Amino acid sequence: MRKLTYYTILSLLTLSLGSCDDNLNIEPEQNLSPDVATSNPSNIRNIVNNIYGEARDNDSYGGGIAMAADLLGDDGKISWNGTYTQPAEYEEKAIISDNVYVEDIWMNAYEINNQANIVLANLDVFEDADQRDLTEGEAKFLRALAYFDLVRLYAKPYEAGQTNSQLAVPIVLEPVLDATTVSKPPRNTAEEVYIQVLNDLSDAYNLLPESNDVYADKYTARALQARVYLQMGDYINARDAANEVIGDSPFTLTSDFASAFNNDGNSTEDIFAWQVTSQDVSINSFNEFWAGQDFGGRPGNPDISINEEHFAIYDDPNDERGMFFYDTARLIATTKWQSQFANIPFIRLSEMYLIRAESNFRLDTEIGATPKDDINRLRDRAKADTFDSVDLDTILMERQRELSFEGIALFDAKRLKRNVGDIPYNANRLVLPVPLREMDANTNLEQNPGY
Amino acid sequence: MEIKNYLFLVLFFISSILVAQEKQISGTVVDENGLPLIGVNIIVKNTSRGTQTDFDGKYDISVSSGEVLVYSFVGFSAVEKTVGQSATIDVTMNTAENLDEVVVVGFGTQSKRKVTDNIVSISSDEINDIPIPSLQGALTGKAAGVQITQINGKVEGGVKMRIRGVSTISSSQEPLYVIDGMPLINDNESVSEAPINPLISLNPNDIASIEILKDASSAAIYGARGTNGVVLITTKSGKSGKTKVSINTSTGWSKPTNKLDWLNSAQYIELLSEANANSYGPEDTYLTEEGGFFDFVSNGKDWRNLEVDTDWQDYALVDGSVQDHSISVSGGDEKTTFFVSSGYNRTEAIVRGNNLERYSIRGNLDHKISDKFRVGLNTGITKSKISRIGTDNSFSTPLQAVAQSPLSPAYLDDGVTPNNQTTIYYNFLMQEYNGNWDANIFRVLLNTYLQYQILPELSFRTEFGYDNNNQTEEYFAGSLTESVSTNGYADANAVQSDKYNISNYITYNTTYNEDYDLEVVAGMSFEESSRKRQYVAGTGFPSDDLQTVESASEITAGTSSRTKYNFLSYFGRATLSYLDKYLIKGSLRYDGSSRFGVDNRYGFFPAASAGWIISEEDFLANSSAVSLLKLRGSWGITGNAGIGNFASLGLFGGSSYNRISGLKPTQLANPELKWERTEQVDVGLDYGFANNRITGEIDYYVKTTNDLLLNEPIPGTSGFPNITRNVGSLSNKGFEFVLNTTNVRTDDITWKTSINLATLDNKVKDLPGGDIVVGRNIVREGETISSFYVVEYAGVDPDNGDALFYTNTLNADGSRDRSTTSNYADATRVIKGSPYPEFMGGFTSNLNAFNFDFSFTFQGEFGASLYNEGGKFQSGNMRYEDNQTVDQLARWQNPGDITNVPQARLYSTNGQQASTRYLEKSDFVRLRNMTIGYTIPLDVTKKFHVDRLRVYLTGLNLLTFTDYSGYDPESTYDNNGDSNIQRGITFYSAPPAKTFTVGLNIDL
Repeated sequence: MRKLTYYTILSLLTLSLGSCDDNLNIEPEQNLSPDVATSNPSNIRNIVNNIYGEARDNDSYGGGIAMAADLLGDDGKISWNGTYTQPAEYEEKAIISDNVYVEDIWMNAYEINNQANIVLANLDVFEDADQRDLTEGEAKFLRALAYFDLVRLYAKPYEAGQTNSQLAVPIVLEPVLDATTVSKPPRNTAEEVYIQVLNDLSDAYNLLPESNDVYADKYTARALQARVYLQMGDYINARDAANEVIGDSPFTLTSDFASAFNNDGNSTEDIFAWQVTSQDVSINSFNEFWAGQDFGGRPGNPDISINEEHFAIYDDPNDERGMFFYDTARLIATTKWQSQFANIPFIRLSEMYLIRAESNFRLDTEIGATPKDDINRLRDRAKADTFDSVDLDTILMERQRELSFEGIALFDAKRLKRNVGDIPYNANRLVLPVPLREMDANTNLEQNPGY
Repeated sequence: MEIKNYLFLVLFFISSILVAQEKQISGTVVDENGLPLIGVNIIVKNTSRGTQTDFDGKYDISVSSGEVLVYSFVGFSAVEKTVGQSATIDVTMNTAENLDEVVVVGFGTQSKRKVTDNIVSISSDEINDIPIPSLQGALTGKAAGVQITQINGKVEGGVKMRIRGVSTISSSQEPLYVIDGMPLINDNESVSEAPINPLISLNPNDIASIEILKDASSAAIYGARGTNGVVLITTKSGKSGKTKVSINTSTGWSKPTNKLDWLNSAQYIELLSEANANSYGPEDTYLTEEGGFFDFVSNGKDWRNLEVDTDWQDYALVDGSVQDHSISVSGGDEKTTFFVSSGYNRTEAIVRGNNLERYSIRGNLDHKISDKFRVGLNTGITKSKISRIGTDNSFSTPLQAVAQSPLSPAYLDDGVTPNNQTTIYYNFLMQEYNGNWDANIFRVLLNTYLQYQILPELSFRTEFGYDNNNQTEEYFAGSLTESVSTNGYADANAVQSDKYNISNYITYNTTYNEDYDLEVVAGMSFEESSRKRQYVAGTGFPSDDLQTVESASEITAGTSSRTKYNFLSYFGRATLSYLDKYLIKGSLRYDGSSRFGVDNRYGFFPAASAGWIISEEDFLANSSAVSLLKLRGSWGITGNAGIGNFASLGLFGGSSYNRISGLKPTQLANPELKWERTEQVDVGLDYGFANNRITGEIDYYVKTTNDLLLNEPIPGTSGFPNITRNVGSLSNKGFEFVLNTTNVRTDDITWKTSINLATLDNKVKDLPGGDIVVGRNIVREGETISSFYVVEYAGVDPDNGDALFYTNTLNADGSRDRSTTSNYADATRVIKGSPYPEFMGGFTSNLNAFNFDFSFTFQGEFGASLYNEGGKFQSGNMRYEDNQTVDQLARWQNPGDITNVPQARLYSTNGQQASTRYLEKSDFVRLRNMTIGYTIPLDVTKKFHVDRLRVYLTGLNLLTFTDYSGYDPESTYDNNGDSNIQRGITFYSAPPAKTFTVGLNIDL
């Protein structure tokens, strides 16, 4: 009896205490490991596609960067009516270093940077040389874009002809995929960042094909170069880049001003536009803040409204651009961002005409066309009376008439050394602070003056 | 002699054989007053044979000579009688004052007297009849050191239960809930950021007792899940004897515990006009011109004559109600016992549009197949439907209506359509007019066991548990709501979670030399949980009457996912008592989980405790003053596995841009990731005086958690915001004090009171990587976790009405610069208070007099603060057009005014920045529940065959005493519901309900 009991116990225990150890290895079903994710060309292409998505995110080019530039650069032409305090800080030019919008711009830019670095470090998986070049070109274009806006926002203005040793942002070119590769880099100078941007864009220009569906192509890189050179005050290169895009690319101005906006697909003048679909999880921030409530905007209706002072810039009452607005129940909204799911124009051909005109005027040249012709082409399109002659002020005014609310206000003020209201163009308040969470996490960083 | 003697001999033999075989024993069981005790359990020791006493206290049972009968009854000391010659055994039982009660510990039970750990036991009488739908809510104030807080007044809202402080930052802070031996699914599956309490689908009326395992030694048997404490729930079971039918029905009314005072139309016009004049000059006509702001918000009504004066708060906070009905049938015989119940609860919240309806049914069955085999099955099924409303941070939540202008009519002239055209913000009334949001939860709980008594000392038990939680949420917002731009929006979210658990263990019980009692338990358990989710959303509806995604013209989002995790554990425990005086216990658990990296998959969790019943020693054994003095101490290590399923892996996930798929890096790898380990030491004294009329406990504990799993912030330049690492440690220490007294005990009147007090000192001991700041809360070395970190408000400058702040910059000598400034950017943030109370207490009184019963519980929490994130909109001296609290009328107006409210300046920031202006202490004392009942005398009800008929009135949250000027100390922001660091924030959060119910208990 004892033995039987003993065996019973033993067998029960063995049966029940048996090993299920293998069951403890469970693989995630919605994720891939880094090794698998970087192991073949198709996965790398998927990562590149995601980088576009990161850039289109509302923290960055889906509205976040443009809002910072327009509110910070505003001298009374627009008003902030929303409940969020962070854009209110932009409008009052009184930013606190823990402002989450400022933090989001920084964090998202570096996500773009890291993913581009991951792609660039794994180009060897490509066997097809064309695919490899395309991938390298796109990654470098997106990385240059990220650094360009970082240096424009977080550093004092670039002054042509100076050494520009003011602190900008850290340049990180190695990918981070696990804990061991995390570092605490110090800030590089504005000069160093601009050099990095120009190098990446030059590589991108050489590697990208002439057309790439809605993604970055050779002309996109050239157009961005034009914008970068203009910001740097390098009018010769700016003019030549803009000229090449105007002359060689297939893009043309739309027949009327309104057609350049609120399109589900790209318009004929979109050199590059961010794709927005109704499936996007991330809200289109341009629409959220600039559109009236009936069109998807927030209760400020709209959160960013247009003041009477703005309309003073239009000299011709027939100028379509001066009428591209609508009334909400209480205020005035711009029609540029009315449609919730339209694509977001990022570089329009009209900007190239403006860059060429301004550069030609300053250099007293007429490469491609005279400044007057370029300006009149835009005014023609907008059904405004053409000019007999133009001067610098007129050209700069045309920039405002054409490109308002697309995120240029602060950047123009800084490069033109124009005050924003009564705030000097190089004031501490017009530079974004290094985000507080970054200062807390990286002791090698120095904060911007005034914060 | 021959035949007679032979016959006597035969008789003698026969009778002795009979004596050696079974014979009928009968008797009566009475209490110390001679009154018969009904339903006393009588068991033949070491077998599964038994019976119960009947209505006259009588019993009979078949036993053999030499067997031992054990008599036990709740609230009385157990008695043992050895069967001898006599055929009658009468027993007198004495009230036990809770000390000989049986307490459920993990994988077994123990006599309370011999327990060396810190376990709180709460019986069903203390929690039944409390009109709150969640079971955690019924436990408030009843256990020392256990803080239970309702998040806010929404009926499905989470309830936070914190046992002995907070022991983690990033892992789950929830205790482990175990029902009938099976760990429960406790995941919030809400589709919005406001959580749904997963335990809302349990019916509190089915619960017989709850044990809370507070210290490491008790919780360590659950090893890797024990750090936050373990809550053991035991459901009711049947008893052999007459079948008992029990009906409980109650109905009641609720109101919010508090409402605030807001400006009326006249005050609103006055303050807003002043704010506008201060910013834009007295000539500015933005407000008063034709078609201006006042005309707009009042929708053309005559605002100058105050034609409209809407009290928006009254639309948001409404009267609620409660209905709870349940019926149960239980009974059985010596072999089989059963308990069957069904219940219905409908709770209408005091927030408009929010309610809960729950149907539940339970069947518990136990059956003795033979002397050696016993089998049982417990099943519970509930179906709940919740009507939900927006999260606190959405414009559609009712509480945000307080921001609307009183000049705006709530409805248009037709009286039916909500006015959403001229309100400052979206009118929440549109949600019920043009939308709906329901969550349906279906939950099945199943436990089954087989017990095999191999030998009298050795038994084997195998248990299988299954928990299935099925939740579907459906949301629709029509073309008149915020979804106007897409012509309506609908989504559906379905989550199916499944958990099964297998445990096998042996229990060995033996006595050596009559002096040594040993119990050994050893076994294993395996648990696997899986979760699947499907979600779809669509826009573009042809009509507001078509409300499901099937009618959407465009599907805008859809996803499905699945995941699982499991645990494999081996455990053992040995308990030894010598002479019933010296007690020692040790346990060990070896846990492995799929959640941890391959390198650190398993962990060891040992624990030990010891006790000395001093009152059993010779020098005290005969003392009449001291009836119990037990010194005990425990030590143990527990773990916390409440992290994501794949936290140690590097991960890339799917994404999309331009309708083409993308791959996105989402997590940095850390293969060294391991368990958080908490070491807890507890020293306690159980005491009893005057024959246990005064009893209680005193405890001191220190709980240290190391290897905290932290999302350590890393430089954003790496492309990631943080990485999960085991760094840092924190500690919780405190005293707990319990005093139970029987103040009066006569034939007709009994009055008992019980006090529990607890202190809590929580500190972060080590935090490599420095401060973690999230919103207003900070985690900093040397401070309480989630302390508030804000600029200090210094009032108003009497010269110009500017808001002032203390600069508080740190001087070289460590002191702070107390000069004030009106420039917020020049002020430094400092730590000011924390959301966790330092001192908590509960006081319960139970009075039974003649046929009346009267009981109440007070609870109090002291030392915590709350930060009102909505203060800048609600009490911000009219910086926006939002309606303000009346205290803003004390604003600065003229030079020389001394006040704490800065000058009102429309659209210009003046004091609304985050500061201690919106931080307040939230100390409170609350009359948590109070009950008055009357039981109709037994001789009257027996005529109708009713054993008990009791009528009662009960109230919840009836009185609240606090200086806190917000809605209620228990109204917090539900968007933070699951956040570990952001605590103590309120933002348009609803207060809890004050409920008053009338009920009836009928036992047949």
